[in-house]
Amino acid sequence: MRRRVLVVLALSILSGCQKPGQNSLPMEGLVYCSEGSPITFNPQLDISGTTADATSHQLYNRLIDFDPETGKLVPSLASSWSVSRDGLTYAFQLRKHVNFHQTAYFTPTRSFNAKDVLFSINRWFDPNHPYHQVSGGRYPYFESLGLQQIIKEVSLINGFRVEIKLNYPDSSFLATLATDFAVILSEEYASQLMTENRPELIDSLPIGTGPFKFHRYRKDAYIRYSRHDGYWEGNQSVEQLIYDITSRSSLRLAKLITGECDVIAYPAQTELQVIEERSDLYLEERPGLNVGFWAFNTARAPFDDARVRRALALAVDRKTLLDAIYFDTAVAAKSLLPPSSWAYDDTLEQSSYNPVQAKKLLQEAGIEPGFTMTIWAMPVERAYNPNATKMAELIKHYLADVGIQVQIVSHEWSTFRRLLLKGQHDSVLIGWSADNGDPDNFYRPLLSCSAIASGSNRANWCSAEYDKLINLAVRTADESIRMSYYQQANQILMDQVPLLPIAHAYRFQAYRKGVSGLQINPFGGISFANVSKDRD
Amino acid sequence: MLIAIARRLNLLIITLFILCLASYVLAFLFPGDALTNLSGIPALSADQSHQLQLMYALNEGWFSGFWTYLKLTLNGDWGVSLNSQTPIFEDILKLLPASLELSLYAMVISLVVGLPLGVLAGLKHRSYTDMSILSVSLTGFSFPVFWLSLLLILIFSLQLGYLPMSGRISLLFDIPHSTGFILVDILRSEMPVKDAALFDALRHLVLPTLSLSIVTTALVIRLIRRSVVTVYASDFIKAAYTKGLSHSQVFWRHGMKNALLPIMPQLAMQFTVLLTNAMIVEVIFSWPGIGEWLIQAIYQRDFPAIRGGMLAVSAVVVTFTISVELLVRILYPLNKRQFYAQT
Amino acid sequence: MPRPSFYQEEYYPSPMRHTWTDFQRNHIALAGLWCLLFFIVAAFLGPFLVPYGPLQQNTDMLLLAPAWNVNGDISHLFGTDSLGRDILSRIIHGCRITLGTSVILVLIAMLVGCSIGAYAGISRGLRASVINHLLDAIMAIPTLLIAIIIVAILGTGLLNSMWAITLALIPQFIHQTRDLVRREFQKEYIVAARLDGASNHRLLVKDILPNMVEVLVVQATMALSVAILDISALGFLNLGAQSPSPELGTMLSEALDTAYAAPWSVALPGAAIFLMVLSINLVGDGLRTALKNRLLQ
Repeated sequence: MRRRVLVVLALSILSGCQKPGQNSLPMEGLVYCSEGSPITFNPQLDISGTTADATSHQLYNRLIDFDPETGKLVPSLASSWSVSRDGLTYAFQLRKHVNFHQTAYFTPTRSFNAKDVLFSINRWFDPNHPYHQVSGGRYPYFESLGLQQIIKEVSLINGFRVEIKLNYPDSSFLATLATDFAVILSEEYASQLMTENRPELIDSLPIGTGPFKFHRYRKDAYIRYSRHDGYWEGNQSVEQLIYDITSRSSLRLAKLITGECDVIAYPAQTELQVIEERSDLYLEERPGLNVGFWAFNTARAPFDDARVRRALALAVDRKTLLDAIYFDTAVAAKSLLPPSSWAYDDTLEQSSYNPVQAKKLLQEAGIEPGFTMTIWAMPVERAYNPNATKMAELIKHYLADVGIQVQIVSHEWSTFRRLLLKGQHDSVLIGWSADNGDPDNFYRPLLSCSAIASGSNRANWCSAEYDKLINLAVRTADESIRMSYYQQANQILMDQVPLLPIAHAYRFQAYRKGVSGLQINPFGGISFANVSKDRD
Repeated sequence: MLIAIARRLNLLIITLFILCLASYVLAFLFPGDALTNLSGIPALSADQSHQLQLMYALNEGWFSGFWTYLKLTLNGDWGVSLNSQTPIFEDILKLLPASLELSLYAMVISLVVGLPLGVLAGLKHRSYTDMSILSVSLTGFSFPVFWLSLLLILIFSLQLGYLPMSGRISLLFDIPHSTGFILVDILRSEMPVKDAALFDALRHLVLPTLSLSIVTTALVIRLIRRSVVTVYASDFIKAAYTKGLSHSQVFWRHGMKNALLPIMPQLAMQFTVLLTNAMIVEVIFSWPGIGEWLIQAIYQRDFPAIRGGMLAVSAVVVTFTISVELLVRILYPLNKRQFYAQT
Repeated sequence: MPRPSFYQEEYYPSPMRHTWTDFQRNHIALAGLWCLLFFIVAAFLGPFLVPYGPLQQNTDMLLLAPAWNVNGDISHLFGTDSLGRDILSRIIHGCRITLGTSVILVLIAMLVGCSIGAYAGISRGLRASVINHLLDAIMAIPTLLIAIIIVAILGTGLLNSMWAITLALIPQFIHQTRDLVRREFQKEYIVAARLDGASNHRLLVKDILPNMVEVLVVQATMALSVAILDISALGFLNLGAQSPSPELGTMLSEALDTAYAAPWSVALPGAAIFLMVLSINLVGDGLRTALKNRLLQ
């Protein structure tokens, strides 16, 4: 009775509502349901995809960009560039009449010029730069690539020309400058903040040249961007861009269905079928430049013993993981590189599931049955690992068969990464999305010695031999020579197993009917520069 | 009378004092550095640490430490959240209205629906009407709030697509924050599309309010029914009938008054139940209220925020409860005699 | 069998028997009792009957629909979840955890609450006043809120949430017992016993306790339904039992990830909680009515 009254009440309210899915709100704008809060609004300072997705292509531009279709380098803020014959000097001719954002907190008096480039690079390159220590003084991406050692100096030729000299040739250098992290900041804004004595605001109230300008941000709730009308490339995109921060993927899908989001980040693999079945939703798929893996903390006993790591790798059936976690939306990983990379080694053998051998190896290494280890499962979904907790539970199951007890650890994402940096884990399920198409972008940040300090080497593994190989590989521009070095590196990885590569996932983007101009960029963060939305 | 009021006020002050004390002690019981737990500033340098120690008077003994803390708390300086580094007190002031708004509307619905049904069931005691109302209310009362909310979302948002399922309003509307009550804020704002915004906000309100109010409606029905039954069984009603008064006269003059007044405090108490259930509902509907915030703080082990959130929520509940009692005692002095007669 | 009676003596059932007879007349309440008994039996015996373990994963059958669905399979009556675990087995284990822990914590809360309540009931003066006032303040705060606060302090986990809910339930029992003891102490039979020289302790145990049992049982059923709702709510909020434990609330929150693709994995555990609470409420309500009827006679 009472329920009937309520139902009638509800229906009478509902009768005034529109038909499902039609978003006829008079406000124009696009809502993107993202998976997490950015750590900062300056992607130089953080390595996570979340930060890059939220800031890099919306607020900023780079000197050069990747073409999302071909992966080739295309001009952006640098209208052209040249490389000297010895591969040591890079000269960039800059674009003129590029405007910075005008916002409530900053009004630019000049347009973009070489000073901004100098400032942006020197901020992370020059340890004595007044802005270097602002916001912590860590630039993990550039540190993990060892860029501070590669670059010799950055110099200003004239107002619109910049020259960068290297210590030794690096064939991946241009690609590095095109990554999400090599953004161009405003020097004028920086010096204004410096005189006002609050330089740290440069990273929380950002100013850039990108298609959108910053409006407001509430952690774990939303980011509001509004259109930058003076954008140099011309701007036809939506008036408002809103990031609705929704960490649960099921919730993101639900919001997509109800029309509360127009585009969602990282649809979960289980949900792809649902999206494909609905006529009002679209799903786009692209092989992704990523790798999901299970890294062993080689700084901790007994994981410093390669036999233990090999045994653990043998004890897990990766095919099942692929089925249960990725639902056939990923390819099995043989090594760090995905098949779409030019340096992918087709001939590489993949170790198979062999619990008997695993048990034997464990016995040799002196691991008693009943040994307990932790698996850290990252709490957020990523393309390369859509459900780490679930994967951890499956692995736990497998390891129980070889007599190893597993304790699954998970913290809130920022805590999780902080504790990972401290190396408190035995092993961790995590992964890597490439920032550019160069194979060096996998080999160096993931396992080189210098990447331990910058925090992207989750295995804390350091091998002089491996480092030498990947250093040799970038000294030359010849792809077949580089490839042979990477093949040798693969052999070391096969033997040492600092991490067990699991899968290269496809990248998906789901959006509602009416949204157009969205492109999956395999080489980095999402870009809304040319997105428009039909009002229906 | 005065004594009763003084007693309540006394109780209020003592309880709030105890809550403050508890929240102060908690800062020392939580894992980690007490200073960080108090201020919310992580990884202190020696200099900062010294400054904060002076600010919280930590090395001057417990008593003066607490005294300083009390003063700071009353001044609205509750430290900053470990997670977002924003001042806790301001966050709470922003979030609390959202929760209160949700609970308030749910309360109104519960009363509007529950009151007539409860009275009806009470009047038709032991009839089929009574039985069916009672069993429906028992059913409503047994619903786990979170499950109910999920079912409503599954049906109305996902299957039928009628209603939105998260937040207070579509993010496309940028409503300036003034009172924190969204409907009021929209009406006060000077935006061009006020009607659309209001409509959108109402649509966002439907499901959370509904899932909150069903459980409370069931409770309200039960309370009122029981009270009506008791009153109608009493002698003065019989006397009124023997006097020759008609049904409606008895009902309005004697029945309602005596049935409703004594349960006023209990009805008002339902608001605290609502506020608690609202915490769960907020999590499900991503409603940016204090409950969602507090639970996030618990996940993230954000101790300054947990401390502040707990203090705020329990202070609101206790203050509310005691003021309701006080109000009823002032409006309805008879209750006092009943109260003493009981003990 | 009633003995053949030689005298024209009326048969007076004992008070408890009286309540029970009255209870039986209420068919809905009786149905609730049967339902509750079913849950109790399921909690005790279920784990031995179900074919799968609660954590046993079957990776060949992920997100299988329930058997009555076209895509269902009879080997998994209620379907499977996203890890291929049998939902029926998990629900039965979940009833065991949810119902079992609730019963335990209500018993503990009752024991502690009644002891303190009895003490408060006997004592007079300042001590009683302090207890009463504190109680009134605490009683006003909903149990779930207290439980959330306590969990926030202790940290998450099933055990901690049990402690939290136990602590949160105690005040009700104190309140109830205190009022009851006070009221009984003023009655004549107690005065008579006191005149015979019985000590407070003796009065409490021998005279008042037997009179309290039924009221306490009613109170306990109410507390039990609250406890089940609270423990599953905490589980749902990830503050109580942690995944992969098959606690019903935790299961529900885990199922959220696949809510759209597999609505049954949300609907079924919730329905189990709902039915459990409903049956307990029916029994509690029936008992309360029966008790009231007896006392009114």
